[in-house]
Amino acid sequence: MAQKKAARKTNAAAAVPPQLLWRKEGADFLVTNDFGHYSWLKKKDFDALLACKVGEGHPLFAGLAAKGFVRDRLDFDSLTAKWRKKNSYLNSGPGLHILVLTLKCNHKCLYCQAAAGGSQARDTDMTPATARACVDFAFKSSNPGITIEFQGGEPLLNWSALAAAVKHARSRAETGGRDLKLALVSNFSLMTEEKARFLMEHEVSICTSLDGPADLHNKNRCFSGGNSHAVTLKWLKYFQKKSANQPAGYRVFKPSALLTVSRYSLSRHKEIIDEYVRAGLEDIFIRPLAPIGYASSHWDKIGYEAGDFAAFYLKSLAYILKLNRSGVVVKEKMASMMLDKIINSRDPGYLDARCPCGADFGQIAYNYNGDLYTCDEGRMVGRDGDEVFKVGNVFKDPYRKVMASDAARACVMSSNLEAQPDCVRCVYKPYCGVCPVYNYEVQGSLWGDMASNDRCGLFKGIFGALFAMLKKPGNEALLRKWVEK
Amino acid sequence: MNNKAGKDAGLRLDAEIYSGEALELAAFVFSDRAAITLKRGKGVFEVFVKDAAAGFTPGDYLNEALNQQCRLDLAGKNSKAAGMIATRALLSAAGDTKKK
Repeated sequence: MAQKKAARKTNAAAAVPPQLLWRKEGADFLVTNDFGHYSWLKKKDFDALLACKVGEGHPLFAGLAAKGFVRDRLDFDSLTAKWRKKNSYLNSGPGLHILVLTLKCNHKCLYCQAAAGGSQARDTDMTPATARACVDFAFKSSNPGITIEFQGGEPLLNWSALAAAVKHARSRAETGGRDLKLALVSNFSLMTEEKARFLMEHEVSICTSLDGPADLHNKNRCFSGGNSHAVTLKWLKYFQKKSANQPAGYRVFKPSALLTVSRYSLSRHKEIIDEYVRAGLEDIFIRPLAPIGYASSHWDKIGYEAGDFAAFYLKSLAYILKLNRSGVVVKEKMASMMLDKIINSRDPGYLDARCPCGADFGQIAYNYNGDLYTCDEGRMVGRDGDEVFKVGNVFKDPYRKVMASDAARACVMSSNLEAQPDCVRCVYKPYCGVCPVYNYEVQGSLWGDMASNDRCGLFKGIFGALFAMLKKPGNEALLRKWVEK
Repeated sequence: MNNKAGKDAGLRLDAEIYSGEALELAAFVFSDRAAITLKRGKGVFEVFVKDAAAGFTPGDYLNEALNQQCRLDLAGKNSKAAGMIATRALLSAAGDTKKK
């Protein structure tokens, strides 16, 4: 009798489908699981899966079983290996170290999240000694790979600190055997042959901003000293030429560019993408505007709803794929990173879409005075007078104290999707992440409320667009090429 | 929930659904926009809103209260998985990845 009861209990357990996440899209159902697998199902098949009627004779059985959707056919070795690979960032410390070399800037961009001061602003330059101390702090990270990114303001306004940090970091990497990447984000307006040569010789990768055709770029990125768009294109071409003709002794990276989408961009997706292609750029990073820092006070003029951005993003992706079909090599960066998670189960290093988010344990932002923040967005909140995301100072606080700071722990806890009521049931959970800084600024708490959260709506729009495209075999083949490595 | 007419715009919330912790957390979220106080009654919480900023509505508070309650309920169910992920992340970042 007891045996019969046990058998019934076992059968009942086996008859329950494994935990899965789902969303109805049109007539079909998208299902995902924590291992990162996904599948599109017709309604009858979805109903059969939930009713535990996808048996060995079912045509979808083998495919669903291999992906971990059939409870009594779970291959734990394979599935956990996939989960570990997708979440490999949980085993390393901060890899991205953002050095804000100055708050000064000679541009006055409409959306400037950096909350930059004017080029004459005083006392907001990082000293070379502080820059070296920041590098030393970055090398305390438990992550074997370190990326130091120089930002501002406009970092070329503080060349002495930039040069000091670059030399010191290269020296530390050489003696310490660390994998070091250096990156500069600049508007190029102060670039010279001499500075460019130094940056190339020290293998610093270069990234700039390009917001589209001249009129749109210059409207978004006001530069009283000249034509921002012309300067940007001039130096993009310069670095592309150098990269195409690699010198002996060091690598010159292809330059890249970032697009910030303002309200003025929404009707011009084709022109913007065409501008990138004309400029010889093979990646376009379509980044939404966030109502943080300076942008929040101008949101009524330059901001937009999540749905507006999702529509823009979808049109842009469709146009990029159309260009791909005609042989043009160009891809969208955010889609590439999301696809890397979805298709390859790899962590692309996109700190905004991790669980937990990259705050502190994935990245650190170093302010000009050596103050440390969970991320650059957290630093911007501090610039507005609220130091809730400050985690320490390079001169005062040891590395381990910074990693265990109140702000770091609060961000890790609040961006954990397993503890977020809506996210825990969301079909996109295996690939997504929330931002405590955004939540704090827009909704008043680190946790936020995803049901009414615009960033959540925006990410849902992006994932919706990507999965809809992956559903079409012709698109899927093209998108898979984006993440082939 | 019942609206109770009065100068303090009192709300009555079922204590079977809402915990005091969730209601206090929700009140804190709006602390820069309204002075929200709670009073525990028999089976209910009474919520009083004073000095509300323009644009603030009691509905905003109720949405946040529900959000906080769902979060607390979820924490009760999922705290083990969430805790393992958070602990792993923080220990790895601190450089302490050895099993203990």
